[in-house]
Order: sequence, then structure tokens, then C-alpha cells
Amino acid sequence: MDILIYGTINSMALALMALGFALVYGISRIPNFAHGALYVISGFVTWGFVRALGVNYLLSVFLTMIIIGVVGALIYRFILIRVRGMAISEIIASYAIGLAILEGLRWGGFKGMTYTLPVFVEGSVDIAEIPVDFHRLVVVGIGVAVVAFLWLFTHHTRIGLALRGMAQDERAALMLGIDSDLMAVVAMALGSMLAGLAAILLLPLGNIVVEAGYNVLILAIAVCIVGGLGSWMGAVLAAFLIGFAQILTVTYLGSHYQMVVALLAIIFTLILRPSGLFGQQKELEERV
Amino acid sequence: MKKKSMWGIIIVVIVVIAAVVIYYATRPPKIEPGIVIGCPLSTAFLYGWDAERAITLAVEEINAAGGVNVAGKKRPFKVEVIDTRDLEPGVPVSEALLVVEKLILEKKADFIMGGPVRSEAALAAMDLLSKYKKVSILTTGVLTPKYHARVAKEYDKFKYCFRITGEAKWMVGGEIIPCLVDIGERFGVDRIFIMIQDVAHARGGGGLIAKIMAKKGWHVIGKPEIYPTGTTDFSMGLIKAKKEKAQVILIWMDMPETSILLKQWYDMKIPALPFGSIIAAAEQPGFWKATEGKGEYCLANVVNAGNAPSEATPWTMKFVKAYKKRWNIEPEGYGTSTSYMAPYVLKDAIERAGSLKPDAVIEALEKTDMVGVYGRIRFDPKSHQVVPSVDPEEGAVGTIFQWQAGKRVVVFPKKIAMGEIQLPPWMKK
Repeated sequence: MDILIYGTINSMALALMALGFALVYGISRIPNFAHGALYVISGFVTWGFVRALGVNYLLSVFLTMIIIGVVGALIYRFILIRVRGMAISEIIASYAIGLAILEGLRWGGFKGMTYTLPVFVEGSVDIAEIPVDFHRLVVVGIGVAVVAFLWLFTHHTRIGLALRGMAQDERAALMLGIDSDLMAVVAMALGSMLAGLAAILLLPLGNIVVEAGYNVLILAIAVCIVGGLGSWMGAVLAAFLIGFAQILTVTYLGSHYQMVVALLAIIFTLILRPSGLFGQQKELEERV
Repeated sequence: MKKKSMWGIIIVVIVVIAAVVIYYATRPPKIEPGIVIGCPLSTAFLYGWDAERAITLAVEEINAAGGVNVAGKKRPFKVEVIDTRDLEPGVPVSEALLVVEKLILEKKADFIMGGPVRSEAALAAMDLLSKYKKVSILTTGVLTPKYHARVAKEYDKFKYCFRITGEAKWMVGGEIIPCLVDIGERFGVDRIFIMIQDVAHARGGGGLIAKIMAKKGWHVIGKPEIYPTGTTDFSMGLIKAKKEKAQVILIWMDMPETSILLKQWYDMKIPALPFGSIIAAAEQPGFWKATEGKGEYCLANVVNAGNAPSEATPWTMKFVKAYKKRWNIEPEGYGTSTSYMAPYVLKDAIERAGSLKPDAVIEALEKTDMVGVYGRIRFDPKSHQVVPSVDPEEGAVGTIFQWQAGKRVVVFPKKIAMGEIQLPPWMKK
């Protein structure tokens, strides 16, 4: 039972970390290596509102999401748009932005272990004699809601359909009058907001540290490679595969091997099925 | 005409004398060159920035009091800090070595103080210190017993290396084990679960504690649980601890994520006392606020007295107040009090040596005997390790404190204890 409960929690945390990365790549084909940095900066922005300015927690969450969405859009509009289509340049540019943000935070004095956010709900409950704190249950609940929202958004709204059109075939979408740059801006803003949401949900469990940016990026990449680059539903499935594999590893092999699971998943996926579970990259190559 | 010339000469002489007098009266005093202390520190981490602050404070105090008397000439200390980043994951040891070399060659450091902070980097730096004949006083981070063992084994080569802070062997045998035994006797507990970080010092320390506690008749639950640096979920380990009826959870981790562990421990109400042999997150004064009190009852070892308020010596609280006044925070954890004392110990040695020459300073340091912030400070003349003790009148004392009602209450060693260990309410029968 403990494996089922904590496997689900761990998987949902991984899915939240990876969704933003998957969404941006899926639509604009830009591998956003600043994803981890956006995650960390969201934590510090919320901390600034809640702890330093004393703003209401819910309002702080809302403001952070708006700010980080705008930051994401600006990153695309002023930097990434100039290198779009040049894969290596996109990686270098986005990674450089991430480094600048993370190292800038460190230089600015955001170091140490005392930056924390309050949990949404205090207390814990025993589920089949397994203690689980309420905040983790909130993470699972909101995670499910986010996945449902994304599905509805991309299937039943004009912008969502336009984003899907872009993801499926950018040239065809252009012929139908969809502004691909505008959609890429929207995708980047949405992806950044998802990174922000993940930070706001997961950081209250621990503390806000710059190093988390690198860890989140590695985990997001692992999930997206296994799920198939470009498929956000694949990312959700991969998050559950890796999440449960991690918990099973901790239980039967030892906690020491927990991080190895994600890295092995990357290696095995690239060897056995480079396009991932739901990726279309391989099929496209074959078509060409 | 003769009379006129005479008056002219007199006036010229008076003007010259006046000019000379004015020049000597108004010329700036000759400034003696500063003694450069090079500090290779991992400044993004607690064990680095607290050391930087403490060294800065001590140097400011020493300079304000006139500086260091080197053979009759007063010279100020000058601090040069470069970030080694050696506590950051993935940063190679060679980075720290480059920093040490830069401090010696570019910054012209007369002495090295503070780090490198990671044991592996400090061990590697010993050869550099030997090559450049630079006296070094380690004040933070490095706990490996190999450091002073190397000095003892190859004295002539490594005689430049001193360590003024504690080391793992004494810490485990002289402080952690006696404290655990005391907890066992007092509360009738004997089941221990060990959670450690995947780094050399934690693996070594955790394994050693498991072995010794088993010999002491305690039931050690399974093998130590090893967590990679950066782990953010400890729930499965904590559930195991609860299932196996652990009564003490021994933690040896210097990563920030330990606060997640303690928050989970609190939220899950695990009926076991968390004991941090090394638990960087819980050392800092800001920990209570950061965890909103969820870290209450956690025990933390901060290696030396003075890193949390106590009355170990008359100097301890004086230091605590001075640090708080200068940095607006209490001494922050491991490495603070030792880094503060190092400039004072160096000043004392230089003044006794009357020189900055390495051999003279080494000889003087070996004869150091002063009561500092954390007890009597002496170096073992063969290994250059500070002499430890549980009595501040005999040697350098350690500190284990427990978070109680928002305060860091020193509970071990007995001689400097400010309170008694308490169990969390959900542990009481």
C-alpha cells in the first residue's frame, strides 16, 4: 500500500515538473533548458510575496503565475525567437538563460536553507495505516486537475486547437492562418506557468535552493525522453513509470539507487526506442 | 651690505628649517604592509559563508586594536576570499586547487585560512601548501581523520597544515556515541535507524556509528539508508523506520534537502528522535522559522562550542553577541567559532615568533595554548590537530544542541549543557 500511495505522489510530482518542458517542446519544438531556472525563480518570487511583503498566499500564487508566464513569453519574444529553428543555438541560448538566472540568484545572495514556503494544508492522515500529509494529497489533486485542464484546453478552445495544430504540422497551421510565433509565445508562457505551478506545489515540502533548478531540469528531460519528446500525455505516463520505478527501487534495492532510475530510463529509452513511448520523431525521420 | 647678506642667510636658514619641520610634522605615518590571509571557501554554503563572516569579524577586531605586532612593527591583517564552490555537487576538486594557487600566487597570501571545505579538496590541497611552504589553518568543513593522519605520517612535508576544528573520529567516539548512550539510558530506547547522504564522510561516519552502537547492545535496523545528494523524498525510509519501530533516527547529511526530511518526519509523526550527527539544514538559527517549528526536538551536532549560544568559556557569549551585532544573526553553525578563533591564534603565534617565516610560525603554532571561544586551544605537535575534550578547561569542546521552543539549547557535553534532551510528545508512552 505504501508503494501505491507514495508511488502516486512521486509520479505526480515528476509529471508536474515535466509538463511545462513537454508542452513547450511539443508546440514550438524548442527544448527549454531554462525550465529548471524558471521553476526556482518562481519559488523565490512567491517567497518574496509571502515572506518578505506579507501578501496573501493565494494572491501570491496568482501573481507569481502571471509574472512567470510573462517572463517566459519575454524570453521567447526577445531571445529564443532569434534562434528558432537552429536546434543547437536553441539549446545553448535557453541553457545560457537558465544559467544566468540560477547563478544570478546565487550572486544576489539567494543561498542557504532558510527560504521556504508554507504548506497549503497542515496535518496528516493515515491511509491504510500509512501516514500521508495533506499537502502531498493536494499535490496529487491539483496534478490531476492540471492534466484534465490541459486536455480540455487543447481539445476544446480555439487557442488550444491552434497550439495542437502547430504541434502537428507548423507549415499546415501557417496556411490555415495560425500565427506560429504568437502560438510559440503562448506555449512558452504556458510552459513557464506550469514550471511555476510545479514550484509552488512542490517547494513547500522542502526549501527553495538554487541547486533544485538543475535537478528539476534533469528529471524533466528524463520524463520527456521516456514519454516521447513533444507528447505531454506521454510525459504524464512516463512520470508514472519513472515515479513508481523509483519507489520500487527505494523499497527493494535501496534509496541510494533512486536517482539512477531516471538516468537509466534515459539511456534505455534512447537505445530501445529513441522516439520515446509517444514521440513522433522516429516516424517522421522514417517518412523523410 | 655685509649686514644685509647676513640677514638673508638667516632668513633662508629659518625658512628651510620651518619647511623641514612642517614636512615631518604633516607627512602621513608610514603604513606597514598588511599580512594577507587567503581564504578558499565555498561561499554559497553555510560552512563557507559563516567562516568568511567569522574571519572578517575577528580580523576587524584585531585591526581595530592595532593589528599584529611583528617584531615591534604593527601590521594589519588583510582578508582575501575566493569561492572554491567545492561543496557544490559536480564541482571537481581541481577547482578548489586552482583557487588555493590563485590566492598564493596572485593575491600573495602569507597564510591560508578556512578551507578548502570539502575533505577531498582539502586533502588534495595539502601538497600545494607544502610546495609553496604556506602555513594553513583549516577552520571548517573538513572532518576526515586522514588530514591530520597525513601530517603525522609525513611531518616534514605537511607540517604547514593545521586544523583548528573537530574531526570525525573524535566526533563519533567522543561526542555522538556518548550522547546516544545517554539518550538510551535516560529514555530506555535502543533501536536506531540510520539515514545518510551518499558522500564519503557520511558513509564512513554512519557505518562507524552503526558498528559501535551494535557493540553497545543497541538494535541497528538494517543497513544505513543512503540517499543521493539532492534527494527530495524520504517518505519510504521514514515509513520503514516507523514499521521497524525505530526510536532514534540518526541523520548524517550536509545537503539542504534535510529540511524536507524533518518536515516529513513531523508531518508523519514518526515516533523516533531525529539525531543529526551532521545536519546542515537544522544548524542555522533561521531553521525554526523556515520549518515553522516542524524541526522541534531535532538534535544537531555543530562540531564546536560557540556555534550555538552557551557558556563554554567567558569568551563564548562575548563572541555570540559580537557576531550577532556585526551580522545580525547568531553564529550560524559548524565552522563559525573556529573560523573566528583562527585569526586570533595566528596573531598570537606570529607575535610570539616575531616573524612571518613559515618555520617560525609553525613552531609558535605548535606551542599555542590559549582559552578561546570553544575551550582551551592547543595543537597536537605531531599531527597539528586541535586537541579535543568534553571539558573546555582541557581542550576544544564540541556542541550538540536540540531545537526546543524556537531555541537551540545545548545538551551535550554535560559541562556546557544549557538544558536537557526532550522527546517529542508523540513519542511519549
